[in-house]
Amino acid sequence: MADIRIESVTKYYGSQAALRGVSLDVHNGEFVALLGPSGCGKTTLLRAVAGLDRQTNGRIEIGGRDVSDLPPRSRGLAMVFQNYAVFPHLRVRDNIAFGLLMTGTAKDRIERQVARAAALMHIEALLDRYPVQLSGGQRQRVAVARALAVEPAVLLMDEPLSNLDALLRLEMRTELKAVLASARTTTLYVTHDQTEAMGLADRIAIMHEGRIEQIGSPLEIYRQPKSIFVGGFIGNPPMNFLRLPVSGSVVRLGTLILNPPAGINGPVMLGIRPEDLEVAETGAGFAFRVHVPEPLGPHILLTGDVEGQSMRVAVAPDRVMQPGDVVMLRPNTARLSWMNPDTGLALENS
Amino acid sequence: MIGSRRVLLISGVLMICAWTLVPIYLVALGGVGGASTIYAWPKPFWPASLSIGNFTAFLQIEGIWAAMLRSVEVAVLCMILSLLLGAPAGYALARFAFRGANLYRLMILMTRAFPVGILALPLAVSFVRLGIYDTVFGVALMHTALALPFAVLVTASLFVGIPRELEEAAWVFGCSGPGAFRRVVMPLAIPGIAATAIFAFVISWNEVFAASVLTVRNKTLTADLLTLLSEAPLQSQLAGGLLLILPSVLFIFFVRRYLFALWGVASR
Repeated sequence: MADIRIESVTKYYGSQAALRGVSLDVHNGEFVALLGPSGCGKTTLLRAVAGLDRQTNGRIEIGGRDVSDLPPRSRGLAMVFQNYAVFPHLRVRDNIAFGLLMTGTAKDRIERQVARAAALMHIEALLDRYPVQLSGGQRQRVAVARALAVEPAVLLMDEPLSNLDALLRLEMRTELKAVLASARTTTLYVTHDQTEAMGLADRIAIMHEGRIEQIGSPLEIYRQPKSIFVGGFIGNPPMNFLRLPVSGSVVRLGTLILNPPAGINGPVMLGIRPEDLEVAETGAGFAFRVHVPEPLGPHILLTGDVEGQSMRVAVAPDRVMQPGDVVMLRPNTARLSWMNPDTGLALENS
Repeated sequence: MIGSRRVLLISGVLMICAWTLVPIYLVALGGVGGASTIYAWPKPFWPASLSIGNFTAFLQIEGIWAAMLRSVEVAVLCMILSLLLGAPAGYALARFAFRGANLYRLMILMTRAFPVGILALPLAVSFVRLGIYDTVFGVALMHTALALPFAVLVTASLFVGIPRELEEAAWVFGCSGPGAFRRVVMPLAIPGIAATAIFAFVISWNEVFAASVLTVRNKTLTADLLTLLSEAPLQSQLAGGLLLILPSVLFIFFVRRYLFALWGVASR
């Protein structure tokens, strides 16, 4: 049990910046997901915390101890790798015991810990097998059990579910959440899958081009994106952005009159989530022309345009839509995001 | 129905087998068959009379056992030196990106570009000065030079095949750098290391030229036979040849299981 404190960490590969000053506090027992597109620096950051790569500048503390210059083995952490990295020449039992053996734990305690970790991950029956006899999902369980067996202060996970097929991933996700919640281990989790991050994490740090773009609870990040990038990255389909002019401190969209944050001149970006729009049978609204309707079951996904700007809308599945139809829409005005089109950053909603 | 690809495969396999086995067969035939079989044409498939007389005669040649022992000593020494020097170099080539890595790789191969004949005379002079001329160690050193390029390049490709993540996992779970090498990399590399060792052994065992030039009294078996057998009758030569082949074949036979992947990772 420990917290992680990352202070303005940078990492350069030659002149190429992978991390441009990242600061992040992970509280004791907290689960933080590093989420971002590939090449955003999330794995680099995790490897710096693990001690597998040395950061160029900055400090990393684990449990109040500066570990910036310590080798991985002295940092008091465990890690689950993307390709599992289960040792092929050791039986499952010895794989799980590996970390404990290295720290010179007593034999009977090792046995107890291995049995406990194996029970948590439901692999008791596999203990005497070699990894080559296991499926991908089983190997992943071994990798997690190996990490849990050492009862680490800090658990690092590098896209641990990305090599599993979709169904198995869902199952492991649920199980992982339950196991980690009961262990209350401080966890830093790298993923590019937003569903995984939203489902597992207490807080999500969205990374983009070597920086943390926003950090907050999953709902916070979803509801109040701090930038166009975050809004466009989170959500499936992502947030819609309309570029609209401000005149007389209001924005007109169809017959709607919307109030952007005060003191804005020139154009603004209006962010609306596809599910925050409803069909306006009566009253104010704006015209949306349907190009492609996709009935997905829970809702119909409509792709179309508003005054020439493309938009996606999720509407209730109980109406029939044809390409070319024009419907009047009205947004949930409590859920609008306003962005500065030049900086890409959110405008304070006063 | 047998596809044409299969026919091609089988005939290829047969050709490669014949390429190696027919000469060995002929040597064996001459070795055990005696003079009459050697000069018979067409060759009988099975010699008319089996005799081990050629072998006993060969083994009774004075100094032959000592030479054989020396050959084994040289080969084992060469094997150890090649691994001690070659494996770390191979590991460095596999794991670290350093300036001139490709040039280094090329230079290693280039050492084989010089004919042993050109090197042997200056080497003999240097060896005399260093006081290692006509010693087991001297010949082993020369043979190590010959085997080293293979040792470096084979172990390098071996270590490349062992995922880096395995080593990193070992570090995270409490190993130091050398500890991770010993506990994780080494066990996975054993099959390939064994193959490299065999290779070094066989290169040394079979080498004649340098061994002949660098020794006078303490000759290895091959060098000894070269001088001894040039005057001996053909059947003795063939018997000697057969005995020379045997250790290599036996050695490879006993360690062959290490040549194949043990855990399906190391020599993928």
